[in-house]
Amino acid sequence: MAYPTQMGFQDAASPIMEELLYFHDHTLMIVFMISSLVLYTISLMLTTSLTHTNTMNAQEVETVWTILPAIILILIALPSLRILYMMDEINNPSLTIKTMGHQWYWTYEYTDYENMTFDSYMTSTNDLTPGELRLLEVDNRMILPTELPIRVLVSSEDVLHSWTVPSLGLKTDAIPGRLNQTTLMASRPGLYYGQCSEICGANHSFMPIVLELIPLKYFEKWLLTML
Amino acid sequence: MLSRAAWSLVLRRGGLGTRGKHSLEGTAPSERKMPPYTNYYAQRSYPMPDEPFCTELNAEQRALKEKEKGSWTQLSHAEKVALYRLQFHETFAEMNRRSNEWKTVMGCVFFFFGFTALLIWWQRVYMFPEKPITLTDEWRAQQLQRTLDMKANPVQGLASHWDYEKQQWKK
Repeated sequence: MAYPTQMGFQDAASPIMEELLYFHDHTLMIVFMISSLVLYTISLMLTTSLTHTNTMNAQEVETVWTILPAIILILIALPSLRILYMMDEINNPSLTIKTMGHQWYWTYEYTDYENMTFDSYMTSTNDLTPGELRLLEVDNRMILPTELPIRVLVSSEDVLHSWTVPSLGLKTDAIPGRLNQTTLMASRPGLYYGQCSEICGANHSFMPIVLELIPLKYFEKWLLTML
Repeated sequence: MLSRAAWSLVLRRGGLGTRGKHSLEGTAPSERKMPPYTNYYAQRSYPMPDEPFCTELNAEQRALKEKEKGSWTQLSHAEKVALYRLQFHETFAEMNRRSNEWKTVMGCVFFFFGFTALLIWWQRVYMFPEKPITLTDEWRAQQLQRTLDMKANPVQGLASHWDYEKQQWKK
């Protein structure tokens, strides 16, 4: 979850998110270098008394500043594509869960073995217990086992929504009439928060997602209590 | 700056939309313009325009221009200055002089900062609703405790700065 005065991403809770953090560091470093070069050039231009009005052509520098950005873009594109394909690797999920978006709550369906479905509404500010996070807590969290690949199928029963958990690097649109698949693999247990990421009406900001990741044996115990 | 140089080129050609003159005497008299709309435009990046600043010379000035055609060592200092002033509007020092415009600009900027601050203050007093209970110090302390208990962001984020054994922030 986010914390006060946070400057970057939340810490990764899955391998894909770790890769995304490395990629972001790499790309941001390139962006900072280009920006500081441009800023330095602008400051040079603004603080000189010299004038020069008769440059006609500059073939050499034009070649350099065409080829070099092309190379830089390739250096950004290659890791990006690598992660893109990594996200689509076959990983043999142990569990399939369907997430349905509604106005304005989520429904989680654990239907591999039995038919288990429950709604997840945001806890309103008046009902929070002291210390809970405003606009982020829900009444029924999505409970999942750690260190297992889980297939999540996301769809919607009415309008567009988007199911997001930033610390796992997940954002999947919930489109009515369509099943979008994403893979979830959490490396460590804990509570992971996210918020609906596609405008869906009046309470779009008030339908959060909370994942509770617990070790497998506790997950199995919980399942037995739910059935 | 660049637009003035371009405009000076336009003026030299007689401006946009001028028709060809049919006068037998030539076009110079009919292009007479009143100051400051002469054909003279100089700026720091274009300091030596083709046209002189003063084109209408009285008899004394014409005599001086004739004297200029001879040896320049015979010109007195005052004559050289007079010739300079005929050719150019301002010296480099005059052209590059600073101004006090920045004081006016900064004054207006600060004034509008203050005015905006007054608007925001009025908004806070008369328009904003009650703050939610979660922003009180007590709730925020309990929230922080809960965040640390669930070890949120333990790698480089919040919980990574908390020493769980000593129950205090890491130094």
